[in-house]
Amino acid sequence: MSDIKIRSKNLNVYYGEKQALFDVNLDLNEKEVTALIGPSGCGKSTFIRCINRMNDVIDICKVTGNIEIDGIEINDKNLDVVSLRERVGMVFQKPNPFPKSIYDNISYGPKIHGKGESKDELDEIVESSLRKAALWEEVKDRLDEPGTGLSGGQQQRLCIARAISVNPEVILMDEPCSALDPIATAKIEELIDELKTAYTIVIVTHSMAQAVRVSQKTGFFHLGKLIEVGETEKIFKNPDNKMTQDYITGRFG
Amino acid sequence: MTKEQRLKKRHSAEKRFRFYGLASIFIALLFVVILVHNIFSKGSSAFMKTAINVDVFFDQELLGIPNNPSKEQISDADLYDVAIESILKVYPASGLDQENALIDLFTIDAEIEIKKALIKNPNLIGKTITLEITASDDIDQLHKGNYPRELPEDRRRISDYQLQIYDTLVEDNKIVKNFNTYYFQNGDSRDPELAGIGGALVGSFYSIIICLLLAFPVAVLASIYLEEFAPKNKITDFIEININNLAAVPSIVYGLLALQILLATIQLPRSTALVAGITLALMTLPRIIIPCRASLKAVPPSIREGALAVGASKFQSVFHHVVPLALPGTLSGTIIGLAQALGETAPLILIGMVAFVVDIPSTPIDPSSSLPVQVYLWSESAERGFVEKTSATIMMLLSFLIVMNFLAVYLRQKFEKRWN
Repeated sequence: MSDIKIRSKNLNVYYGEKQALFDVNLDLNEKEVTALIGPSGCGKSTFIRCINRMNDVIDICKVTGNIEIDGIEINDKNLDVVSLRERVGMVFQKPNPFPKSIYDNISYGPKIHGKGESKDELDEIVESSLRKAALWEEVKDRLDEPGTGLSGGQQQRLCIARAISVNPEVILMDEPCSALDPIATAKIEELIDELKTAYTIVIVTHSMAQAVRVSQKTGFFHLGKLIEVGETEKIFKNPDNKMTQDYITGRFG
Repeated sequence: MTKEQRLKKRHSAEKRFRFYGLASIFIALLFVVILVHNIFSKGSSAFMKTAINVDVFFDQELLGIPNNPSKEQISDADLYDVAIESILKVYPASGLDQENALIDLFTIDAEIEIKKALIKNPNLIGKTITLEITASDDIDQLHKGNYPRELPEDRRRISDYQLQIYDTLVEDNKIVKNFNTYYFQNGDSRDPELAGIGGALVGSFYSIIICLLLAFPVAVLASIYLEEFAPKNKITDFIEININNLAAVPSIVYGLLALQILLATIQLPRSTALVAGITLALMTLPRIIIPCRASLKAVPPSIREGALAVGASKFQSVFHHVVPLALPGTLSGTIIGLAQALGETAPLILIGMVAFVVDIPSTPIDPSSSLPVQVYLWSESAERGFVEKTSATIMMLLSFLIVMNFLAVYLRQKFEKRWN
């Protein structure tokens, strides 16, 4: 059994009057892939956005309860979100490369965190990040071309490389393949499999098959509540909860 | 109704709509053509002026200066007598009346023009040279065909005798046209042949620079703060509504504001480019903030999230990513705001820019005019020569506006980045 990297306790999230998460208690293991599944609007994305405090951006959003990373509370007003986000990277639903060169897309993160003082160091970070994201071979000759000129799948891998570039411990992925074709999706899934040796990964997905393929642990959300969580194999073969059973067999959602 | 009928009806509705659209575009273009034609046909002649060839004899006795004079001696010299003597030789006039009629055919600055020639070449003393001396406004207009010479003499400013001189001079090929440098170099004048937009150009230039320096940074910072940092609540909503309202406030109200605050209370110097610039900045501020905020808003939130997710602070995500992307829109909004300010007349009239200013301002705190106010001033003048000057100045103003608007479009198209 792996160590627990992220632990949420009684996590509640409100968007104004509306409550989006109800008392979520979820432990995520280190260097494992945890998949979060559930129908649209069930709070999966809201949950992972709590882990890097991305919900701070939304004025009306209020978060109560605890989230700990390595036993340290992060849902704390005094916590420096910049260093939190350096440790917890994120990949979004729609690829969102900066409208800059491929090189600048990757080197931006290291630069603002003071990593890679010299050009050589930066070059090295860019290369290793792109290699880890399995994009290096495709773009090594055109690093100065705009990142927005790549194909959708390449753009998403560029965003993964960007997240890796600051050497995070956790990578959050919010439906990273929803805008991609099956071939690009397969590449990203392969990549996730490799990345889990070095990073703790949380992936939100609408594809049951994807959850089965990439994750070790799966959590099922419904209407803001965490219904069931467990080994992926168990959740998909023999869930304890009737609702989980109904969802994975496609009876609702 | 059968299917064919319905289809036919649909097609004819579409055709009708296309016809209405084309017709309205045609009407709009027609008005533009009429306007431009009107301005050009009246104004283009202002860029040339009429001059009369005069043989000027620099008589050392009349000049009263020694051989090899110093520069000061030349510029202090009185060339009135030389000018009069030379002009009187152009046509055999006899008697004071006729002589005066002849002298009146020339600009009152004839003496100065002759002096300039001498300053340029001091070796001319004791020699005769043919100079193109600027004609009076009446001769200028007559020569350009704008003067109704068929009117009875008592209703004309030019006497029959003067017409006779003019016709003789034309026959002798002594009347020439040359480029109207006065129009670009001189300040305003009571004499149309000497009046120019030099002062108005400089005044407008200073006003716009001051307006840019004040309005641009304030507007950009205000929009960045309001769009990116300010909490969304009742107060910011109220501010937003007020900014939109201020952009719609008639410009003359800003003139009243400036009159009370800048002139009466702070006692800044009246009819100066400084006050004009501040007034225009106040007026332009909301007009820049609105496009500026719109272009910030147009940057997709995913860019901000992308930057925040790699650990950029709010400030970094805004200034490294959002602002550079919004810059083309911001710049073009600013230029269009400035172009509006450049053409603004009403507030400047209230702060005293309608004053008759002859000197070209050398600093922003000298009394000055501005292009649109100059148009207003000249359009009210009675002299025939100001008609073409009014139109010519409108042409100048329009060409500045067109250049600025093209620049705005160019900047936006060149630097705008696409994110999809």
